[in-house]
Amino acid sequence: MTNISHSTPQNGIALLNTSAPFSSSNAKDSIDLALIFGSYELAPSLFFFSDGVLQLIDNIDGDKISIKDFTKTFSALEFYDIEQVYVCEESLKQRGLSKVQLIENVEVLSNEQFSQKLASHKQVLKF
Amino acid sequence: MTKLAVVVTTPPHSNLTTTAIDYITNAIELGVDVIGVFFYQDGVLNASEHLSLPNDEYQTIAHWQALHSDHNVPLFLCITAAEKRGLSDEIESQMSQSNMLSTFTIAGLGELVELSAKTDKLVQF
Repeated sequence: MTNISHSTPQNGIALLNTSAPFSSSNAKDSIDLALIFGSYELAPSLFFFSDGVLQLIDNIDGDKISIKDFTKTFSALEFYDIEQVYVCEESLKQRGLSKVQLIENVEVLSNEQFSQKLASHKQVLKF
Repeated sequence: MTKLAVVVTTPPHSNLTTTAIDYITNAIELGVDVIGVFFYQDGVLNASEHLSLPNDEYQTIAHWQALHSDHNVPLFLCITAAEKRGLSDEIESQMSQSNMLSTFTIAGLGELVELSAKTDKLVQF
């Protein structure tokens, strides 16, 4: 097995979210999968990168554009013991965003910290 | 023997699906134990019985069938994603019947969790 990190990955699965919330079903398909992993007590780590960071903006509301608002599900993550939620700081900056505009309980990481954290996982699925 | 699980999210007409099949075929030749392929998102369309690709293009669906029949590779599909895309395995009335290839096993996302837990390596296309 080829590792992308310098050390052996210790953590389980990471879900890497790179899509805007409502332009495709990627974001919802990813959170659906996250909750299933959580229900098996194999809580995944969630990573938000590129347009994926847009999913975490507080008070966005898909219902206003007639799309089922799965982003409400983010507030349920802790019930599934999903506590590792990482956001790329650079992706936020590129979109004129900062942490105060995001939902609570997310950790903003520099590019380097973000990639190191991602590489510490054995498996990654990208949405 | 190294265990491999594959997640396919691309439809039959995508070249990435062709690459997935090539990858799995080569892995089998190298002695890797392919414990399952899980079809999610548009990947479920690979189970569509009535889908036909032009004769001179790569026949993804026939190749999935061959992987299953020749090498016993389990093909799991997410039923929720499939139903969203017009696939059905149920004969609910005389008007509707299955349009899903029987080589695919109907599953939920829990199957993907189990593959993830059992495998040495998980690869997504």
